[in-house]
Amino acid sequence: MNLSVGTETIAQMAFWIVVGIALGGAALAVFPRNILYNVLGLAMGLAGVAGIYLYLGSFFIAMMQLLIYVGAICIAIVFAIMLSRPLHLEVPKRKVPKVAMAVLASAIFMVAMIMMALKTKWVPAVERSTDWSIDTIGHLLLTRYDMVFEVISLVLLVAIIGAILTAGYSRRLTS
Amino acid sequence: MSLFKDPVLLAAALGMSLPFLSMAIILIFTRHNQRLSATISLSAVLTSFTCALYLFITLHAAGAPVQYTTTWLIADDMVVAYGYLFDPLSLLMLMIVATIASLVQIYSLGYMAGDPGFSRYYAFQSLFAWAMMNMVIAPNMLQLFIFWELVGLASYLLIGFYFEKQSASQAGKKAFVMTRFGDLGFFLGLIILFLGFGNLGILDIHHAAQTHALPGYLITLSAVLIFGGVIGKSAQFPLLTWLPDAMEGPTPVSALLHSATMVAAGVYMFSRIFPFFAASPDAMSMALTIGTITMLLASTMAMVTYDLKQVWAYSTVSQLGFMVMGLAAGGYYAGVFHLTTHAGFKALLFLCSGIFIHEYHTNDMRVIGKKGGRTLTIPMVCMTVGALALSGIFPFSGFFSKEAILGVLGNYPNKIFLIAGLVGALMTAYYSFRLIFFILFPKGGIEKHDAHHEEGHGHGHEEHGGEHHGYIFWCMAVPVMLLAGLTLVLGFFEAPFEHFIMSGQAAEVHHAAAVHGAAAHDAAAAAAHEGGHGGGHLVLLILAVSCAVGGILFSWFEFGKKGAAQEGFLAKFPKISELFAQRWYMDAFLRKALDTAVYCGLTSTFTRNDRRIIDGGIDGICKFTIGSGRLFSFLQSGMLQYNLLIMIGAVGLVVIYFLV
Amino acid sequence: MNTLGTYLVIAAVLFSLGLLGVLQRRNLIGMLISVELMLNGANINFMAFNRFLAPEPAVGQIVTLFVMGLAAAEAAIGLSIILALFRTMRSINVERAQQLRG
Repeated sequence: MNLSVGTETIAQMAFWIVVGIALGGAALAVFPRNILYNVLGLAMGLAGVAGIYLYLGSFFIAMMQLLIYVGAICIAIVFAIMLSRPLHLEVPKRKVPKVAMAVLASAIFMVAMIMMALKTKWVPAVERSTDWSIDTIGHLLLTRYDMVFEVISLVLLVAIIGAILTAGYSRRLTS
Repeated sequence: MSLFKDPVLLAAALGMSLPFLSMAIILIFTRHNQRLSATISLSAVLTSFTCALYLFITLHAAGAPVQYTTTWLIADDMVVAYGYLFDPLSLLMLMIVATIASLVQIYSLGYMAGDPGFSRYYAFQSLFAWAMMNMVIAPNMLQLFIFWELVGLASYLLIGFYFEKQSASQAGKKAFVMTRFGDLGFFLGLIILFLGFGNLGILDIHHAAQTHALPGYLITLSAVLIFGGVIGKSAQFPLLTWLPDAMEGPTPVSALLHSATMVAAGVYMFSRIFPFFAASPDAMSMALTIGTITMLLASTMAMVTYDLKQVWAYSTVSQLGFMVMGLAAGGYYAGVFHLTTHAGFKALLFLCSGIFIHEYHTNDMRVIGKKGGRTLTIPMVCMTVGALALSGIFPFSGFFSKEAILGVLGNYPNKIFLIAGLVGALMTAYYSFRLIFFILFPKGGIEKHDAHHEEGHGHGHEEHGGEHHGYIFWCMAVPVMLLAGLTLVLGFFEAPFEHFIMSGQAAEVHHAAAVHGAAAHDAAAAAAHEGGHGGGHLVLLILAVSCAVGGILFSWFEFGKKGAAQEGFLAKFPKISELFAQRWYMDAFLRKALDTAVYCGLTSTFTRNDRRIIDGGIDGICKFTIGSGRLFSFLQSGMLQYNLLIMIGAVGLVVIYFLV
Repeated sequence: MNTLGTYLVIAAVLFSLGLLGVLQRRNLIGMLISVELMLNGANINFMAFNRFLAPEPAVGQIVTLFVMGLAAAEAAIGLSIILALFRTMRSINVERAQQLRG
């Protein structure tokens, strides 16, 4: 078999497949009314986004995406869904005006963003380094951006404590 | 001040403004004091009379009209003047008004004694005297119009004097509104004249009319419209039904306003701008027709009524029509002369009727006759004198003036008007003496009442009821006797009268004739001159006299003879007498027209407009406000998704706007 | 198609889909899912600029990392709030939560 398709085109096709997965997952996360479909859609979409990160040159961030988003957040959401029991009872009818207005607003916003993205003349920086290694990221995190590092740790800590408090408050009172 | 240097001007200003002051003082200060009010008003009007007499004596021989004006309003290049114009016509009319106003005010001392509105009455009488006198000597049409309207106001106030009576206040309203319709035409005519000519001064109008300075259609149009004012004020057809209703007012008011002066204002105005009217033959023939119709119509109505004052009211309408006929046929002098004599004997007739009404408290002539009306000698005699003058019997003044007008009509090409005039004279004599005979020879004789009255009757003659011989009696008797005397002698002053009147007219007419030799004006002047004498028309004279005497004999036959049925020949035609009694259904017609046009048409339109459009509009605004509020209330529903929606949408739109 | 514009458009579409979900869904958890999508759209933007314009690629990746961390924290707190709300409302329909009405 003579595959006249070169690696370039395969890469291109794969790119569009990944984009399709991402956008399809997003659509699946938004449109259906069954919440489990939405979560699965989210997972798929986020996986697709990880693929896009690969194309954008960062293997590290792609791994982080899969780890944090798909692995932690989506699972947490599934937990939450399972804990809110009578979800199958509530599927009220869609209000057409509300949906129409929402579609209109987001369409306007999308058009605005795309126009802005395409019309601006993006100027690359004069000196661009090509250092994509993880070493550099770690080094920078602990030297130049360690303040940011500490802050995010603090945020995560507060978030955990807050989540425990909010979720367990009433139980604490009764016990 | 030049005012005090010139005695003529001083007299004029004094005479013209004193009655106004008297009215103001009475209304503001002295309403509670009846005697004081009467004194103030009487002294004001007598002073005006003196001033009028002085003006007449001083200025009657002046060759040309004397005019005093002062500027009242200035607007750009238009100057509105106020002032006085003294020429023979205005001096004559001023004398008439002052004389009759004074006599009536003296008479009212007796007639209105004891009435709670005594002061108010005298205030309004002063108002009327002021307005009428200022109107008569107005130098321009605008001042004439202003005081014309004020005279109408005085008329309304005086007709509705007994305002507690529903019929009286209705009559006042009716008079005012009907004359207003006529005044509408008058005002439009004045506006057209002003727009076309630019000046409303009377002497200027005369000059322009005689020198043909104005286009023909302008004169005709404005003359026809101005004649509308004559129709309204002088109760011509079709606006004549207010005058009989105006008899609701006190009798002296009827004597002053609605017989001698106010209703004569229309005829006066006609003669005031006579050259202007004469320049338009179409307007003159229209006026002639209307005058004829009025005269005949009103005479028929007078033949069937039993109310004392109504007869004289219809008679006034008829005689006004007769005057208009005379003027419209070109007889300037004849019309003015009849105006003068009519003022005299019609006021006389009303005042005499007033004495009867005051005595017997009824307007019905049959009841007055039955109660012994003929035993009141002075009023009876004077009323007979007045009736003879009205019918046109020699030697009373009415004879001369009627002959003058009939002479003018005889000279007019179309003889039908002459025939109408003769028929009118016949009917006039008939109805006047019908009334006289009802009182003089009541059917079944005078009723015998209780001893008190019989005692009064027993005295008879001047000693009628000794208790009546107070000032009330003399207040009422003296003016009546004066007027009767005037009626007797005025006729013999015809020649100097004519000379006096025509001197004012002749100066202008001869001037025009000399300049242009215009045939029309000459013919009118010549006809007036000739017709004034009635000379050369012996046949006409005999015809007229026989019509009058025939009318008297006819009514004697029906009412006066011993054993007469006192029914009148019209009783044999019930439909016709009903027609006459209902004023030829004019009132009914006007009422129906008013109902459909105004009530159904205008008021319902305006009501619907008010309810649906105005109210509905305001309701709509309310609903719109509430609705639009509701439209945006979803933002306050607590649903943050909606808030978010609006926010995102707005930001997106702003970005697009800045990028596009 | 390896230009900046492509990635920016993709990011915009993703963001808009997330926005649509936030505005239109009644399920609270559904709203949370849509918020995650929005965050991811923003992240792709960061990475795209990092790839094509930035002088130091490491910085862009650090920022993206932090956004992810924050998204995790936010998801955790959000879920616990939803749980607390569920206990009082007995429902996860956002249209039931209208106590701020007026």
